[in-house]
Order: sequence, then structure tokens, then C-alpha cells
Amino acid sequence: MNKVISLKDAVSQLINDGDYLAFGGFTTNRKPYAVVHEMIRQGKKNLYVESGPAGGDMDMLIGVGACTAYINSYTANSGYSNVGRRFRKAIENGDMLFEDYSLDVQPILYHAGSLGLPYVPVKHMLGSDLADKWGISEEIRKQHDKLPNKKLIKSQNPFNPEETLCLVPTPDIDVAVIHVQKASTEGVIRIEGSTIIDVDIALSAKRCIVTCEELVEPEEMMQNSEMNQIPSFIVDAVVHVPYGAHPSQVYNYYDYDRAFLQLYDKVSKDDEAFHAFIKEWILDVPTHEAYIEKLGVNRLVALSVRKGLGYSVKEKS
Amino acid sequence: MEEKLYYTNREMQAVSIARLISDGQIAVVGTGLPLIGASIAKKLLAPNCHLIVESGIMDCDPKEVPTSVADCRLMANGSVLWDQYRYFGFQTNSMRYSNIDLIAFIGGAQIDPYGNVNSTCIGDYEKPKTRFTGSGGANGIATFFNTVIMMQHEKRRFVEKVDYLTSPGWIDGPTGRKDKGLPPSKGPQAVVTDLGIMKFDDETKRMYVDQYFPGVTLEQIVENTGFDIDVSRAKEAEPPSVDMIEYIRTKVDPHKVFIKY
Repeated sequence: MNKVISLKDAVSQLINDGDYLAFGGFTTNRKPYAVVHEMIRQGKKNLYVESGPAGGDMDMLIGVGACTAYINSYTANSGYSNVGRRFRKAIENGDMLFEDYSLDVQPILYHAGSLGLPYVPVKHMLGSDLADKWGISEEIRKQHDKLPNKKLIKSQNPFNPEETLCLVPTPDIDVAVIHVQKASTEGVIRIEGSTIIDVDIALSAKRCIVTCEELVEPEEMMQNSEMNQIPSFIVDAVVHVPYGAHPSQVYNYYDYDRAFLQLYDKVSKDDEAFHAFIKEWILDVPTHEAYIEKLGVNRLVALSVRKGLGYSVKEKS
Repeated sequence: MEEKLYYTNREMQAVSIARLISDGQIAVVGTGLPLIGASIAKKLLAPNCHLIVESGIMDCDPKEVPTSVADCRLMANGSVLWDQYRYFGFQTNSMRYSNIDLIAFIGGAQIDPYGNVNSTCIGDYEKPKTRFTGSGGANGIATFFNTVIMMQHEKRRFVEKVDYLTSPGWIDGPTGRKDKGLPPSKGPQAVVTDLGIMKFDDETKRMYVDQYFPGVTLEQIVENTGFDIDVSRAKEAEPPSVDMIEYIRTKVDPHKVFIKY
């Protein structure tokens, strides 16, 4: 079955206000910016959001006030911002519910989710405030059906009472959003380079939106199928958005846009500049196609990676 | 008397990191100084070490300095690109593997005398004065691996008690980790700052000054430490070799992404 739909339809049909969302990628790599932009255009709100190692994508979503609760282990455009500026501000102002985990624990929770397991016993977080201080209390959790009733439970290993463990509940994800290199029109997915958390969030969510650099005929995707990770029936929507991860990078396709990441670091420090940026680059740009056009051909060509290195090289002229 | 040095303070730190990695060891590194230090180790001091990162990339050997631990610069030259959960499993299993010798590097905003580190917030956790990124991979690293902690040496960072304990060190002394259910034999080995290298006493697990960098005085270290610190064992650190500095400037970070001079 053909799953290809427009970005606008994917976001309006599959993401509801109040949903629990998980986004793929890693800080400045394969982040699903096109979907985040469209969510901002459509004014999605009251969301429960997590993204493992998050970057500017989640920082923007937080900055426009779309998140009721944000589950964090790291949020910054690594190497370009010391900390996500809107993320920082929302927490310092008390504007949003938030919880902290270790960056290693989130992937194992997503993996457990992909295996259908309700919780994971880990030694991580023991002896630290990640276990002892909760961002979201049990009382507040009672008011939010989307959240587990506890952050975690410290418990003895029933098979070895001398061992202490943190039992951490698996998130109940409504929609996973990932950006990949190749998708067939039917929704078979091929990620190149590290898959990070993307396969697991896709398999554990109730619905899955995949944006891709390249749309591929189903027969073509059956060649070298050992390189595919997700079968079509897991995927609800395939959206073709070349440069859909800009300003982050996509292995074998393009590098991160350093100047854009530096610009975001600057504007996101200031309320007014941030909202002007959101207006200029998202709200006043009706589609992803218009966004690419605004960036310009030469800017995008300059991001092309050199085969064998995996990144773009600036030659001295 | 100020002597003109042929290297910068950050280069001294990078070389200190390199010297803490032994041949054959696995080094878990982040971007910035740890990766630069580990690259020096790999090339000049410990050619059989393995550099790995928390995004799941094994045997990193970037041709250009990466800015994130999942940078395509690392993917392009790694031996294995694990799904991230495999790295979680590797951490937990590292205690079981008999042939694994591992050192990991983390940073933070505050540290206490027992090497407990805060990278989450200053002030109250629920409504902090200053919020940082959060744990990243540091909590998992500090749970399972021997660590080296990178920190600017300032009184407001070297504190009696951290505002939020993100990554456990020796907790409160020799039995602290065992009491909390943490692997008792792993923990912080050293703190590398812009002033020198601190280590932890074998008996008490409290921080002491092991080395001070050339041009730095012990008084400076004491003044910039917010708790009592033993300086009786301190010696001057050996300056980096000219070859090492040359290697950093020409091969590791030629575009001065992290090392400026």
C-alpha cells in the first residue's frame, strides 16, 4: 500500500494535541526538523515529548510553548550551544513539566518498548539525584494520564536481594517521528550510518511518521534488504522531504549547517529574537519546499558530503 | 615570573588526558578536549587504545574534529556503529568481561571532594537558578567506569556539596558506592583542570592535588578550591613535548575548533 502523503497531512492526521511523542536522531544528526517546523505551523500543543539526545529541534518545540512535559537526558546543539537556550529558560521559569534521565537509560527504555516490556531494571542512576529527585511528583503524575505514575522504583533484585536496581517504566509513545535516508513508497525504511534510537521508537509507538531524503520504489528496496531496519506495516506515513533534517546532518547526504546552528544559538538566547526567527524561518514559510528555497541552492550544495569522509569539505578558493 | 610557554593551557590539559590513557585501554570520550587528548594518545602514546563514544560508535578515528558524539565524522571511520542501546548493554556487561580495561572522561559544572559531579543545575532542581543540559551519558559512565573528570578550577565549581548529584563519584568515602548499590571498585581516578591534576586518596577517597601545571602555584589551587584539599603530595607536571603540540596543531585540530593559540 502506498503510504506517501504530504507533510501537512502527516502532521495534521497523525499528531493530535496532547499526544506523547518521541523524535529520532542525535543532537545535530538526522533530527526530524521538517516535522517540527510543520507542527509549529499547525500550532500543535499540550504535548508530552522526548527525544533521547535532543538538539535544536526539541528546543524550538519547547520555545513555542508546545510541550506540557519534556523528558530529558541532554538538550543542546552539541558543539554550537552549551545548552538548549529555550529548554533552559522554560525550566528556569517553571513553564513546563520536566524529568531527567541518563542518556543511556532512554535508549534501553525505547528498546524495551520495542520488545513490549513494561519496565527495565537498571543500575544506572543509583546513588544520584536522577533517582532521588523527581522533576514530576507522583501527585502531578496523577493528573497526567500520559505519564507513568512514578519516575522509577528502587528495588532489590528478586533473584539476588543483595543487588539494588532502579525499575524504570517504559514510555507509552503515541507517535514516533524519524528522519531517514531512504524509504520505499510503501514504508520500508533504510537508515544509513548509526540508527541511534530510531528503530526502537518506531517499533514502540502506536503510530510512526517517517520523513525521508529519497523515495524509493518497493522493488528497489528489496535489493540488499539486509540494510533495511523497519518493515512497511510499522509505518503510517512516508513523507518525502529532501533536506528535511536541516540544519542537522544526514550521513551520506549532507553535513550540518554550521552558520545556521550558530545563528540559532544566538537568536534562541533572546525572547524577541527567537520569535522573530520562528516567524521568519517557519511561520512565514508555508511549506518545506519554500524553506529549502529560502535557504538557497548554493547553501545546500555546500553542505554535500564528500564520499569517503562523510562530511562536507570547504576547499580554499 | 611569567615564562613564555610554547603551548597553551588547553593543550596542557589535552596532553594530561592523553597520558591518563594506557595502551590497549578502551577510552570513552566526548567531544572537545577528551577527544583531542585521546587522539594524541592513540597516535603518540597508546597506539592500541580504542576510542568509543556514548552514541554507540566504536573505534572512532575522525579525519576532522567532530562537534557531537554522533557526528558523521565519527560514523565515517568507526569499526562498528551500534544501536545506542548496545552501548547501554556494554556498560552493564563491562564488569563481566575479564579482558576489559576502560577509562572514561566526563565534565561538569560542580564537583565535591569525593568526585561527585553536577551537570544538571545550579540552585533548586525544580526551579533552578541556572539549568544545564543534564546528564548526557555522564551518569551511566560514572556508574560503571573508572572516570577522569574535566573541570575549570574555580571555587564556585569545587564545592563541599553539589547542588544536584548527576554522576556519582565515591559518594562520601570508601564504602559510599557499595552502600548505594553501585559497582564499588569503579569510580573517579583523576580530575584534570586548567591548574593541574587531582587524584583521590586510596583510603579516604577524598580529592588531593597530585600535579600542578608549570606556571601554576599550589596557593592558586588552594584559593580556587572551595573545600580543604591536601597538597602535600603535589609535584610539578611534565610539560608536553614539542612533538605533541605539533601533532595537535597540524593533525588533530588544524582548524582550531577546540584549541586556539
